[in-house]
Amino acid sequence: MRAKLIYALGVIAAILLARNLYSIFMQLPDEASQGMIYRIIFFHVPAAITAMLCSAVAFVASILFLFTKNFRYDAVAVAVTEVGLAFLAANLVTGSIWGRIIWGIWWTWDARLTSALVCWLLYAGYLMLRHAIEEPTARARIAAVFNIFAFADVPIVFFSIKWWRTQHPQPVFWGGGSIDPAMYWTAALNLLALILLGVILSLIRLRQEEVQREVDSLRRYAHAV
Amino acid sequence: MDFFRQMWVITRKDLRAELRTKEAINASLAFSLVILVLFSFAFDPTEKETVAMSGGLLWIVFAFAGTLVLNRSFAREVPNDCLDALVAAPISGGALFMGKAAANFALVIAVEFVSLPVFGIFYNVHWTTHFWSLMLVLALGTWGLTVIGTIFSALTVNIRLRELMAPLLVYPMLIPCLMSAMQLSMDLIAGKPLGGENEIWLRLLIAFDVIFTALSLVLVETVLVG
Amino acid sequence: MDTRNFTFMFYGFLAAWLILVVYVLSLVSRERKITEQLKGLKGLLDYKERK
Repeated sequence: MRAKLIYALGVIAAILLARNLYSIFMQLPDEASQGMIYRIIFFHVPAAITAMLCSAVAFVASILFLFTKNFRYDAVAVAVTEVGLAFLAANLVTGSIWGRIIWGIWWTWDARLTSALVCWLLYAGYLMLRHAIEEPTARARIAAVFNIFAFADVPIVFFSIKWWRTQHPQPVFWGGGSIDPAMYWTAALNLLALILLGVILSLIRLRQEEVQREVDSLRRYAHAV
Repeated sequence: MDFFRQMWVITRKDLRAELRTKEAINASLAFSLVILVLFSFAFDPTEKETVAMSGGLLWIVFAFAGTLVLNRSFAREVPNDCLDALVAAPISGGALFMGKAAANFALVIAVEFVSLPVFGIFYNVHWTTHFWSLMLVLALGTWGLTVIGTIFSALTVNIRLRELMAPLLVYPMLIPCLMSAMQLSMDLIAGKPLGGENEIWLRLLIAFDVIFTALSLVLVETVLVG
Repeated sequence: MDTRNFTFMFYGFLAAWLILVVYVLSLVSRERKITEQLKGLKGLLDYKERK
């Protein structure tokens, strides 16, 4: 059942991505001051939003785990955090390349990039923490607590760095800048495509995590017999 | 009132244990002095820019030296099953946490009080201009550092590579706290009083302290017991 | 079409997708490891049951 869901979602995501790539490269006109490079925004911003969604889901999953002690929630938390980390990395790299063109530098310590980097470090720490604990119950519990701390830190990090530096261009979509409706739609559709991609990857990773758990318990059984 | 009595018992125990051997506090002091010296090689202490940013350097010193003390707080209980005894004792997890946090706070503040004059001498910085404001910032920033360090010490108590993991996890989490403390310290040392533009950093620092103290008190039992 | 910065945009897209591809590859390798473990365990259990 779940395999079928994954395939179906995959097909939809592939169609959406194909349509979007066509639209991004063939149909949309160039932006006035930035030339071609602005098209990267269609992946840069949706990747960030997807990563934020992933961290929110991980937060909820961690809380649910602590309340119900159901390991499925722990598996969801780790799957979603990994996928979110991949998207956040893509966001950082595309942002860096874009910045190289527009601002002339590969990196700058502005609000958004810095808080994205700090969030990346926090969640990478989460994964490292999981690797360091072998016992599954303790690992799930400690990781869940860390995830709650990390999520609580994310908005604080964001606001503090926003007050610290502001070189990042004002938000294109929600900042009061005007935007061509065609671009808006493409961006929204690409966001949907990336979210679908994120869901698919999370589901795959979730299944792997559950299988791994079964394999571990099977191993314990095999050695006990 | 029971809570505070329990907390005080733990604080006294930790302080007594630490002051008898003075291992962590000596290491921490030595480390902070070494870092201060090392920074003088990296940044020319006579340059005006260095003096302007010296408040930031100060907090890096405090964060690194403080971590030495904070990591040990729960790690010290692991040999001889002391941690099990503490968890089984009839005190609430919150009291245990706050007791340890208070003891750690005292130790880290002590290290800071020694480092601060040394810092003033090495970098020729007049940090006494807004003395009480600076003390307030020191207290708030150190409390943020202590809370996160203590709860993460509890979190990583049974992990292999604990000495490596705990700082790795703590520092990203501390960034807002350190950032606010650095900004405030830089301003205070430069002669600007608190308030006006600084207000936002002060509020952020207080918010950070409140949020993470509350979160730690809620989650400490989950961490220690499950 | 204005071809200013075309190469960099290409690199940008490439980078984003490469990261996702690397992640997918890591998922694939993890899958392979799990199936190997599963096979080994099944063999072990069969052996023990036959004994």
